[in-house]
Amino acid sequence: MKKKLSLILAGAMVLSMALTGCGGGSGSGDTSATAAAAGGETAAAEADTEAAAAGESSESDIDTTGFLVTPKDTDIQTADVQRTSADYELPLNIYDRLADIKVENGVSSVEPSLAESWDISEDGLEYTFHLRQGVKFHNGNDFTAEDVVYTFNRLLTVSGAMNTELLEQVQGAAEVLDGTATELSGVEAVDDYTVKITLVEPFGAFLSCITAPGASIYDSEATEAAGDQFGLDPSVTVGTGPFKFVEWTLNDRMVLVRNDDYWKEPAGIPGVVIRIVPDTETQTMMFENGELDIIDLDEIPDAVDRLKATYPDQIVEGNRVGVTYMIMNYNVEPLNNINVRKAIQRAIDRQAILDALYGGMGTVENGIYPHGLIGFNDELPAIEYDPEEAKALLAEAGYADGFTMELASDTSAGDAVAMTLEIIKEQLAEVGITAEIKNYDESSWLDLRNSGEMCAFTATWTADFNDPDNFIYTFFGNEEKSKIRSLNYPDADKMARVTAARAMVNEDERIAEYQALEKEIVQDDAAWVPMYSRVHLFAVSKRVQGFTPFWSGYGDKPFYGITFSE
Amino acid sequence: MLSKVLKRIAISIPVLIGVVLLIFIMLRVVPGDPVATMMGEHVNPAMIEKISAELGLDQPLYIQFFKYVGNALRGDFGTSYRLNRNVTQIILESFPHTVKLSLLAALVAWIVGLVAGIIAAIRQNRLLDRLFMGCSLMGVSMPVFMTALVLQYIFAFKLQWFPISGFDSWQAMILPAIALGWNSAGSIARMTRSNLVEILQNDYIRTARAKGLREHGVIIGHALKNAMLPVVTMMALQISSMLSGAVLTESVFGVPGIGRLSVNAIETRDMPLLQGTVIFTTILIILGNLVADLLYNVLDPRIREGA
Amino acid sequence: MGDTYEERLIPNAEEEDMAAQIGESETWLDQVKTMVRQNKLAAFSAVVILLILLAAVFAPLVAPYDHLAQSLTDRLTHPCAEHWLGTAELGRDVLSRIIFGARVSLTIGLVPTLISMVIGTVLGLCAGYYGGKVDFVIMRLADVMLAFPSLLLAMVVMYTMGGGLINIFIALSLVNWAGTARIVRSQTLSLKEIEFVEAARSIGVKKWTIMFRHILPNCLPSLIVLFTLNIPSAILSEASLSFLGIGAQPPSASWGLMVVRGKKYLFSEPWLSIAPSVAIMIVVMAFNFLGDGLRDVLDPYLKEQ
Repeated sequence: MKKKLSLILAGAMVLSMALTGCGGGSGSGDTSATAAAAGGETAAAEADTEAAAAGESSESDIDTTGFLVTPKDTDIQTADVQRTSADYELPLNIYDRLADIKVENGVSSVEPSLAESWDISEDGLEYTFHLRQGVKFHNGNDFTAEDVVYTFNRLLTVSGAMNTELLEQVQGAAEVLDGTATELSGVEAVDDYTVKITLVEPFGAFLSCITAPGASIYDSEATEAAGDQFGLDPSVTVGTGPFKFVEWTLNDRMVLVRNDDYWKEPAGIPGVVIRIVPDTETQTMMFENGELDIIDLDEIPDAVDRLKATYPDQIVEGNRVGVTYMIMNYNVEPLNNINVRKAIQRAIDRQAILDALYGGMGTVENGIYPHGLIGFNDELPAIEYDPEEAKALLAEAGYADGFTMELASDTSAGDAVAMTLEIIKEQLAEVGITAEIKNYDESSWLDLRNSGEMCAFTATWTADFNDPDNFIYTFFGNEEKSKIRSLNYPDADKMARVTAARAMVNEDERIAEYQALEKEIVQDDAAWVPMYSRVHLFAVSKRVQGFTPFWSGYGDKPFYGITFSE
Repeated sequence: MLSKVLKRIAISIPVLIGVVLLIFIMLRVVPGDPVATMMGEHVNPAMIEKISAELGLDQPLYIQFFKYVGNALRGDFGTSYRLNRNVTQIILESFPHTVKLSLLAALVAWIVGLVAGIIAAIRQNRLLDRLFMGCSLMGVSMPVFMTALVLQYIFAFKLQWFPISGFDSWQAMILPAIALGWNSAGSIARMTRSNLVEILQNDYIRTARAKGLREHGVIIGHALKNAMLPVVTMMALQISSMLSGAVLTESVFGVPGIGRLSVNAIETRDMPLLQGTVIFTTILIILGNLVADLLYNVLDPRIREGA
Repeated sequence: MGDTYEERLIPNAEEEDMAAQIGESETWLDQVKTMVRQNKLAAFSAVVILLILLAAVFAPLVAPYDHLAQSLTDRLTHPCAEHWLGTAELGRDVLSRIIFGARVSLTIGLVPTLISMVIGTVLGLCAGYYGGKVDFVIMRLADVMLAFPSLLLAMVVMYTMGGGLINIFIALSLVNWAGTARIVRSQTLSLKEIEFVEAARSIGVKKWTIMFRHILPNCLPSLIVLFTLNIPSAILSEASLSFLGIGAQPPSASWGLMVVRGKKYLFSEPWLSIAPSVAIMIVVMAFNFLGDGLRDVLDPYLKEQ
């Protein structure tokens, strides 16, 4: 009997060892590399001494006491911003761009960053950037014109490139993209600190394009050496930015430390820990227990009221240059009827949705360009919620008894979007339109939308760069662009004008043309249902001062400028 | 004995092939273009084509399959769409956390389950028995994620005894282990109790009692040994449900393990990663069952003689 | 071949035992009656289940409000006289949603379980009766299915087909048949050696007739118990899938989905998630009690599992 029991125990141990054996073996293969191992020597020295001083560190080699702690709900894809169109938090903090967008009192402007100044030729084709001297990458390399040339070439050629549209207008970009050329002829280093960029045709939004996170500047030498590990291995992922990327434990945390040699004033906080916390309620709990410094309230609008009551001075409101819209497909009966479209525009009580789902934190929009975007037009006539008028319009269109349409819901888009559709369905029912919500998983939803056959849906477009072109060209740029959004806008003339406007050199005329087009498309054709733009809310801990959300309203936070009050 | 081992291993091989084939096919009939999904709002038809070709998605299915199996045999499960890294590397990085969590949970389940089961059996039909059995039934009746959320809310958020999320210190590991082990503890307690109740009525226990052994000695010395065997077997069966539960527990507590990885893979439609995690987990279960099975052969004399 | 750990739990059925069981004058219905008399808890559970079933069937009559009626001005009201369990995020009455949600959750409990058990029974019968290659193939297939952690496999199915009720049915049906197949197979193996089956065979009764007329009825008690015990696990699986965001989709409200959606309001309106959680627990516990009770009286095979 005794023997049997010991056998059981032995067996259990064998089993557990078999399991941990695999685990132990992999532990040595742990690739959560730290910069302390290679690369930035200063970081290494610093980290060592700090860790020694603290006397203990759990799994990482870096002592993170005194760091800002902030969550993300899923891990990022890569810190290589040329290969992602979603994860900008690291790029915003570890790289710089030639220029940045600054928004003050709702007016946005382009201000110098790595480029101290620039000249634009009369014909709008040549941009000459004068680069800042004495800027160093985290590895100690000097920032020069060669880095800019390398970066912009790589932006188009790197495998899995996601931000190619930023440089589409540059001379030679098309050839590089289709493989007929290997060098981007339109970008050249005039000398060490001067870069000349030539465009195929004038493009008013070009300057805005190079302020996008996707156009961050890399170190030619380090990036080339890093190969496909760039953006994955912190030790080789270097930029000129205010923070250095030092540690990344997959699905757990990323650590940034202050770049003490930053070309501006070094950051006000010693570093940042970005923790992966998958669940927003968990994030709220952690915030309330003082474990997190900044949380994004975008996904939990209903917690806002409560948090506001508890922490009145700790809610930060950020602008969001993004518009929530509803698309009605011109190829679907009876949405091709202008009166039906106008009826739908008037049947949706946008303020009520905003109030119900987002605590009223936002503004109803009446056009394509949201508040905060260059070219935003506050003189657009308001589209009033008017169910009676909507019914009359439907009767006029011959649909007095209503009709049935489909609302496509992307199940991955989150509860708020699903509920928006539920409310829209209810509101449309009031004017006699039967809307059926059909659920699709993300892939099928995108497939259907890209095929141009989705009946109707809502989504939000947030600015990549601060220019109306980023909005109107995306949806009404040409037949293909309009089809890919399941709009199938039929007016080829207006779409030609949208494309032509890109090349207008006179800025005032260009904006005027964009505004005219917006009015015609939204008001006259009723081809677009503007919904609202929302404020992006964050809650910050007591000690956090000076946090400014990114100008466009991304959840990705710039940490430069934050200080601790203690 | 050896031939028995070899035989069982031989049976596992077609199962393994079946697993890989099934998962591969299931993930290939997914509607929608994975590359278009990756690009999302920033869709660009020319880029879709280019990236598809880079990923080898334009090749016929059977070629993709043989390539996959060939690479998998060499330990290469491909490259994650989203994370741009080797899937094997990602899995090996996350896997130790899941193992740690599962073993701790198993420990909780064993200790709590056995103790509760024994006490309940001794105090059969009395208050303590009812209480324990009620608790264990609750454990079985609550979805794992709910148990996890309740524990998290009370002990981490309200009482602040433990960190709310993460898995980087021993304090942080306690709640996830309890949440995951609770369910199994319930089953083990119920099973231990019913086995003990039956055995306690057996003749030889009565004899032992008559011989003057003290009550505790009787129970621990005799009954428990006999009751252990089915419990051991059940633990083997629990490997699978444990790993299912780990998916949920890891999501609630932010444990960077393999369960979270598979959830992320689904959320982001990262096919190679999902494929890798599912196949890897399944191999684990097959191995676990193999070991448990062989263990059982060693333990159970009836079967040993029969073999 | 098939002597895996799971089946070893099933005692080697010796012929006398089997014959004794089959020869028993008491039908399984009588045994259930015995259970009702002896096991009050199981009987009470049966009543609870029946009540919930009735509430689900007659939901429009029982529920105080239309479960889909929105009222944006009355959103998130606390429990009060008009709304016993308060209202949800779009002003819908929570109690009505739970009553209507019972339809969804019970359907998820019943339908996939039934489908998977039918599949499992047929395959198990074939495997046990034909033996040989048929047995080998079916059992290896079952091994493959059992090798997956069930939740992970269901996740993969949902990944492939997307969220939604029908897909949950398919996912859960596909995932759970193998356990049933194993148990039915082992019972078939022992039953087919029994005298009257052999007698039937010798006089040339068709195989399918033997399988479905003679063997299946003898598996029925085990199947009823299994069915009762598989329902709660299906309900829990759905809740878990919904928690991961790949289960039921709004506006069709399963209890699992209600818990998950209510979770957002855990701090300010906790009843939104607590009420459906309690509903899930009550149903799951009731089915578990009932299943335990049924097993005690009906099924010598499953007793030790």
